[in-house]
Amino acid sequence: MFRFILTKLGVLIPTFLGVTLIAFSFIRMLPGDPIELLAGERGVTPERHAELMANLGFDRPIWEQYFSFLWGILHGDLGVSFMSRQPVLEEFLTRFPATVELAGCAIIFAALIGLPAGIIAAVKRGSAFDHTLMGISLTGYSMPIFWWGLLLIILFSATLGWTPVSGRLSALFWIEQDTGFMLIDAFFSDEEGAFKSAVSHLILPTIVLGTIPLAIIARQTRSAMLEVLGEDYVRTARAKGLSSFRVIGIHALRNALITVVTVIGLQVGVLLAGAILTETIFSWPGIGKWMIDSIFRRDYFAVQGGIVLIASIVMMVNLFVDFMYGLINPRILHRR
Amino acid sequence: MSQVQNTADNKTVSAEISPLRQQLKEFWFYFSENKGAVVGLFFFLFIVVIAVLADVIAPHSPIAQNREVGMIPPFWQEGGKIEYFFGTDILGRDLLSRLMHGARISLFAGCIVIVISLTFGVLLGLSAGYFRGIYEVIVMRVMDVILSIPSLLMALVLVAILGPGLRNAMIAISVTYLPHYVRLARASAVTESARDYVTSSKVAGAGTMRLMLITILPNCMAPLIVQASLSFSTAILDTAALGFLGMGAQAPAAEWGTMLADAREFILSAWWVVTLPGVAILLTVLAINLMGDGLRDALDPKMKRS
Repeated sequence: MFRFILTKLGVLIPTFLGVTLIAFSFIRMLPGDPIELLAGERGVTPERHAELMANLGFDRPIWEQYFSFLWGILHGDLGVSFMSRQPVLEEFLTRFPATVELAGCAIIFAALIGLPAGIIAAVKRGSAFDHTLMGISLTGYSMPIFWWGLLLIILFSATLGWTPVSGRLSALFWIEQDTGFMLIDAFFSDEEGAFKSAVSHLILPTIVLGTIPLAIIARQTRSAMLEVLGEDYVRTARAKGLSSFRVIGIHALRNALITVVTVIGLQVGVLLAGAILTETIFSWPGIGKWMIDSIFRRDYFAVQGGIVLIASIVMMVNLFVDFMYGLINPRILHRR
Repeated sequence: MSQVQNTADNKTVSAEISPLRQQLKEFWFYFSENKGAVVGLFFFLFIVVIAVLADVIAPHSPIAQNREVGMIPPFWQEGGKIEYFFGTDILGRDLLSRLMHGARISLFAGCIVIVISLTFGVLLGLSAGYFRGIYEVIVMRVMDVILSIPSLLMALVLVAILGPGLRNAMIAISVTYLPHYVRLARASAVTESARDYVTSSKVAGAGTMRLMLITILPNCMAPLIVQASLSFSTAILDTAALGFLGMGAQAPAAEWGTMLADAREFILSAWWVVTLPGVAILLTVLAINLMGDGLRDALDPKMKRS
């Protein structure tokens, strides 16, 4: 196990360095001058321009800039956002819980429906349920989620008035942000109805962000179950006279889950990409919306830091998934 | 489509029963077993025809504005006119014509993205799997880096660097798809290079290029074709997403995602400008995915009848 983790880490370090290099060079390739952006309409004198460039470190040799960027990352310093004048890391961390909350709810929603649906479809293979589910999941997989969000807003917010259109909490409430997770903060606050408001704000974004993972999980669970149900040990278990429930629920499902856990873990990248669109539609104050706003405002250090942080999260989760995969399936660890 | 290829093959290989024809027959046998795939194929062909003939069959110009007929609902609603079948947008542009021209942009973007990412992906992957060594390590690490950044974020940053527009959006999306092709091509190239037939043609004096492109490549194609059909649909979705975020095709282009972005403010007043472009995206992507499923069944023997 130790060696397995070491090998994975050995691959991770060059990849991380690659990400920092890409983020670093990307923002230096962005068209436009950061100082002119900062100065706005007023403009700056050439002397002041040079002084500001020096302040930001843009006058130093490029490799020196890169190494001081790396040095900063090691010390948790990702520079200062142009727009808010706040440290990038702080900006990121205040918005991160909102995205985690949304993505977490989306993946739970997707797994809660997708897993049982996929299992039933596999067990009742060829039935009307199976065909309908596969049709629906292919439709979900083909869904342009930004349009799906607009449709849900038209139906549930505008026409029926059931859910709010945007944000995380009704402006009527003011609650202390202790954890940053609105559901938890609202639950423990004294405000009457705040929790209900937080939940109602979450419903539509959760459905929109969870749609594609739901479709993928249902499809993959079905095919993983089908594969396992054809194995000899399942036949043996049936022959021993075990109940169908035991055969499907314990013998088959446990092995099918190996694939499914990996599939769920790999959705993190999909979720973070989807969060950009979902958060834009619902004005959800998370890192997806923050990133796209920063790109539009050419907030150099925010984009640079954001790419590094998001890529690190994706890499960490992938490592964790590999690790879990090894735990559930010992064959992986002892290979080689 | 397969029939066209069939007749072309008849000319080149006239003697006996050509093995290629046999293959195509078998392909169609497995493909047509999947009813959804056949439906998808016909709907897809329908969209292709619309896209190709958009200039001829569209009743109006997709970009000409006509202030007098702004925001007319579809013809079956009160106030609708039959000459504006699906109604008009705020600038009086005919929605049906815009949707037809949008099909052209979306299919074009999908094709270009596949061509770019498949070409570069196969070249990088094949050469990595063939030459091995430090070159392979570098190529694969670069692909890992691209994969660790969520694709839409990567595409957005690339478009911000290159400048918004359809061409740059297609380039940016192609870059984010590269790793999938590189990994597939490399994996097949590694297994195939070790086979006897490669060694024997090497002994027979085949050069590096010939070995890679003519001896090895054809035997790596099946997974690449399946991947290409998958990324055709996601490419259309991603192009629309970038258009929706204002980073793809620019106004007045009749791109489906861009049309949706323009329609956002009319969510409450004009349902047709918000729903119809999305329906067009959904149906097109769905048709391609249905086709892709059939393609996978027909090309991948392991998945057959599962």
